[in-house]
Amino acid sequence: MTGTTATVAERLAVLRRQQAFAAADEAALAGLIAVRPPERMPRPDPVWDDAAVLVHEVVGERYRRLVLASATIATTALAGQFLMITVPPALGERILLPRPMAIHRRHPEQGTVEVIYGVAGRGTTALVDVGVGERLLVTGPLGRGFEFPDAAGPDAAGPRPARTALMIGRGVGVCAIMGSVEDAARLGIDATVVLSGRSRANLIGSADCAELGATVIPVTDDDGSSALAALGERLRGLFAGAPPDVILVCGAGVLARLAAELGAEWGVPVQVSLEAHMACGLGYCHGCAAPVATDPAVEGPLVCVDGPVFDAVLPAG
Amino acid sequence: MTIAPPMPPTDARRAFFDARRAFEAVNLSVRIGSLTLANPVMPASGCFGPALGRLIPVAELGAVVTKTVFGTPRGGNAAHRLTELRAGMVNSVGIPSRGAAGYLAAQHPLYLALGVPVIVSVGGHRPGEYAPVVRGLRGAGDAYELNVSCPNLDRHGTDIGSDPDAIGTVVQAVRRETDKPLIVKLPVLVSSIADCAQAAEAAGADAVCVANSIPALPLTADTRSPVLGNVIGGLSGPNIRPVVLRLVWLAARAVDIPVIACGGIETADDALDYFSVGARAVQVGTASFGRPFAMVEIIRALQERCEGAAAADIAELIELWRA
Ligand SMILES: Cc1cc2nc3c(=O)[nH]c(=O)nc-3n(C[C@H](O)[C@H](O)[C@H](O)COP(=O)(O)OP(=O)(O)OC[C@H]3O[C@@H](n4cnc5c(N)ncnc54)[C@H](O)[C@@H]3O)c2cc1C
Ligand SMILES: Cc1cc2nc3c(=O)[nH]c(=O)nc-3n(C[C@H](O)[C@H](O)[C@H](O)COP(=O)(O)O)c2cc1C
Ligand code: FES
Repeated sequence: MTGTTATVAERLAVLRRQQAFAAADEAALAGLIAVRPPERMPRPDPVWDDAAVLVHEVVGERYRRLVLASATIATTALAGQFLMITVPPALGERILLPRPMAIHRRHPEQGTVEVIYGVAGRGTTALVDVGVGERLLVTGPLGRGFEFPDAAGPDAAGPRPARTALMIGRGVGVCAIMGSVEDAARLGIDATVVLSGRSRANLIGSADCAELGATVIPVTDDDGSSALAALGERLRGLFAGAPPDVILVCGAGVLARLAAELGAEWGVPVQVSLEAHMACGLGYCHGCAAPVATDPAVEGPLVCVDGPVFDAVLPAG
Repeated sequence: MTIAPPMPPTDARRAFFDARRAFEAVNLSVRIGSLTLANPVMPASGCFGPALGRLIPVAELGAVVTKTVFGTPRGGNAAHRLTELRAGMVNSVGIPSRGAAGYLAAQHPLYLALGVPVIVSVGGHRPGEYAPVVRGLRGAGDAYELNVSCPNLDRHGTDIGSDPDAIGTVVQAVRRETDKPLIVKLPVLVSSIADCAQAAEAAGADAVCVANSIPALPLTADTRSPVLGNVIGGLSGPNIRPVVLRLVWLAARAVDIPVIACGGIETADDALDYFSVGARAVQVGTASFGRPFAMVEIIRALQERCEGAAAADIAELIELWRA
């Protein structure tokens, strides 16, 4: 779109659309986010490790997959937790801050975890140069992940464990929910996973979902199926009369809002994983303020320790 | 959904804890007023938290320094609060604080449990706000670091620490509250660092810390709009080292009290640069984010350097180079 033949007016229009989209995506979270109640499971202690890079390969058109060896992290990480990855100095580039990355897959038997990243800015561009056999400094597992809350039982029967889940991921946001797809497979929870991306060649997670026995709904921008209205109608139709017990979402503010709307209609809880610029990942630098309006005299929640997973609840009214 | 591992797996962190060894012939201890630190390496304010105690052997540090505590609770700035540019990292965290009472209740016990001296960083928006915070801390902490790199609301927002008179006012007022060692943490943008350091010394400070981060304005690469919610923030990291090195050199020539260097320190060599221009201790900030164990690595390397050169301390090591 921004090729050299485009006029200034055309390029400006594209940029403005991108900016408007980014602003709308941020605005969609307004009033939506709440810190989750204390988790039922104790959180594992994070460690740092010199993780050997076992695989580093291109995935689709825009992403790369890393398989990292760290037995401690692989055996303790909970669904939806993340790592801080320190990017080693590349040719001419020093990356000071570690980059937060979702733990896409856990393989405790092999002592490995998988991460998928998109090449976006300086940090991820420098990460591309890390070779198989080299070591990456990683800290984790970090943050509060997704949980399957008990569902309200019929009448007075009381709560019961979740049986079905709808998960929605877009772009690299899919990585944050894949741990929950793993958990669902182990717990016998029926998982329906919406994978959203620009095009079929850019969808993350199809093979993982197939392996884990989850039902996939691929939606893309190029055929319009990822458009919010279309996706909303499709999900309302699919779950008519039998809503999922929980909705987990990551990757776009507008998708979190759609999920919160569906959750309100169906009366089911919604959890969303958020991103923020981070330095420490441990809660002490106070760099990762969550988009939650609070009293100016009180610090709001931090994405790295109070999240990255929050409840998404439609504001009243 | 915790999967209990059959055997606790080992990781690089554990190996790092185990690699500690004693250096009998080396003495890295340093005095800050009445306080003796086992070695001269400590975190920079805002770049450390008790949570690091699980990741690094904090007991090996000379001291820990808290995030700046203000008298009344503050929320902190809007997102984004930090970013990274080619020039370094820029933060505009805005110093969220629970106030002195909140710090005492929620944070101080966690710092105390670390088992090393705790230096509490204290902030204010007016020269008169520092002493009440120290009073509110009710004796908690082994020393106080007065973060005077804060806009002075009594003087149209010029930094308190760029005004030698204001520095004197702050230190004298705090001195009346406590006998504990006082460190004055100076800003980078001052017309004379020597005047500022001397004002602190004359008013009864036991050390100066040089320096805080450097005011900066980061823009996005594509639209050249501000990255930070607060528009401006503080630049830190290795690129500020030569700038701060000059300031430390100037300050160390101007005062007899110890100068604690802070700015871009990542390795023992960086620390030795500062020691060689007169610093008596060092603080490590940004480097800990990417390498949480950086401070401990520096301490161990300083000990090894001294041992390798058969020097009893850092002063002897530097003398040996010069000879
Ligand atoms: C909990 C969490 C999980 C994440 N999981 C993934 C993942 O699985 N795969 C993936 O590709 N990316 C993920 N991200 C985003 C990732 O951390 C990178 O920051 C982002 O890809 C930007 O890449 P960069 O470092 O090349 O950008 P740069 O331009 O080099 O970044 C400059 C600064 O901005 C910050 N920044 C820029 N964009 C983002 C962003 N979207 N989110 C957070 N910080 C940003 C960087 O951390 C850095 O401080 C995650 C972020 C969070 C908070
Ligand atoms: C995220 C962050 C938070 C900081 N918070 C404080 C603070 O609360 N009080 C203070 O005096 N300095 C604060 N600083 C400044 C550091 O203590 C230090 O002076 C500065 O970062 C330079 O050192 P460095 O290059 O080693 O990081 C902060 C720096 C960073 C990066
Ligand atoms: S990243 Fe440091 S507090 Fe969240």
